[in-house]
Amino acid sequence: MLLALPTLALADGQWVLEQCTLTYHVSHPLHQTEGVSHAARGKGTCHAGQCDFLIAVPVKSFDSGDSNRDLHTLQVTHGAAFPMVIVRTRLPESSATSATLNVDLEIQFAGQTAQYKQVPFKLETHGGETHITGTIPATLSDFKIDPPSLLTMPVKNEIPVRVEMTWHPQ
Amino acid sequence: MKTRAAQFVSGIGIVMLLLLISVPSQAQIADATLSGTVTDPSGAIVPNAKISVRNLNTGQSTDTQTNSAGLYNLRNLTPGDYEVSISADGFGTKVAKVALSGGATLTIDAALAAPQAQPQLPPATDNLPNAPSSSKTEPSLEDLGFPADQTQANAREQALLDKRTHMLKIHQRMGLITTVPLIATVATSLNAGGKNTSTASRDLHTALGAVTGDLYFITAYYAIRAPRVPGTETRGPIRFHKAMAWIHGPGMILTPILGAIAFDQKSKGEKVHGIASAHGPVAIVTAGAFGAALLSVSVKF
Repeated sequence: MLLALPTLALADGQWVLEQCTLTYHVSHPLHQTEGVSHAARGKGTCHAGQCDFLIAVPVKSFDSGDSNRDLHTLQVTHGAAFPMVIVRTRLPESSATSATLNVDLEIQFAGQTAQYKQVPFKLETHGGETHITGTIPATLSDFKIDPPSLLTMPVKNEIPVRVEMTWHPQ
Repeated sequence: MKTRAAQFVSGIGIVMLLLLISVPSQAQIADATLSGTVTDPSGAIVPNAKISVRNLNTGQSTDTQTNSAGLYNLRNLTPGDYEVSISADGFGTKVAKVALSGGATLTIDAALAAPQAQPQLPPATDNLPNAPSSSKTEPSLEDLGFPADQTQANAREQALLDKRTHMLKIHQRMGLITTVPLIATVATSLNAGGKNTSTASRDLHTALGAVTGDLYFITAYYAIRAPRVPGTETRGPIRFHKAMAWIHGPGMILTPILGAIAFDQKSKGEKVHGIASAHGPVAIVTAGAFGAALLSVSVKF
């Protein structure tokens, strides 16, 4: 679920998400769980000094290492009715030069839309590619998801999502 | 002594009976679900349409929106009378009153009225510098090239997942409840099978074993009957959990059979012999497999 933005200096150009790893973290009193997806796709288009970015990832693509847990996750997040996590953001081209970036994100997930303001990301550019890392401070309540429970104990509301992305200009 | 044991067994029986009654009752008052598709006058889907339902008894409102396939799904609604309002930018609003019954899924599809002329709004001045925009240059989900089966909603699969989770939640709770008489049965076995045992001790052990067996098979029922999700490969700790069932399942059938033979032999004043002497070891293996199954999905090793 997330986004980040390349250091875009391409007037009327496009950016393509080349590689992406998204990792959510869930805390339960008995153990910690992470689910990983490498299936995100993204695109950015720049025009008149603004770049609009879209990233989407199938809810089903997250793998926690346990098929039963993943099916419960799919159910509780209404992943069959709302199969995609969609992230949108916009950045001015002038924001390109810094090593850090604070991004406003709009995330559609589980039939809800949540907005996150000024989420910090780190940017590194190597050979024309921009590597972006950061963590989105998502919570279950942001998307009106009832915390699943195990042995009558619910998981924590916080489900931070670690974002690692590589973008390249097209 | 015999009277006290009988009272204890009766007490355990009453508690277990109440527990048995409580689980089906919980299932009977399950919440309702409202789902459907929102389209425009041409029949095209309308993503991001707003659906608001208000409980006419409590006044409580719940909102959601349609996904990219124009589908919405509102779960966990308390049974009762509701006012459903469906709207989308540029379209009229549809309002309907519906009655939702417990455990039911009601489908309300809505075709919104033709788009209305939109006034030209001035540019927003309170947007943050990099707030999401509605720019015409925005890429769309279609631009990303996902296969259609990944992006389209599947109401049937969601209903399958909902039912599966509902049944497995009961499975989980019943498994925990079963643990109590299981431990008690194992604990009372020490006084039931030795040389100097009383009839009361054997009766107590037998009663606890019977309660354990009944609860166990109710627990198993909810796991066995929970719907399978096609195309799902079993991975991770749940594989061990399922493998253990191949041990404690047959064990839960064999243990009471052997126990009945042993009980009969002891009641005749005989020493437990023959196949009945396997009652204890089979019971221990069965209880161990049950405990391992429970731990495998509870604690991360």
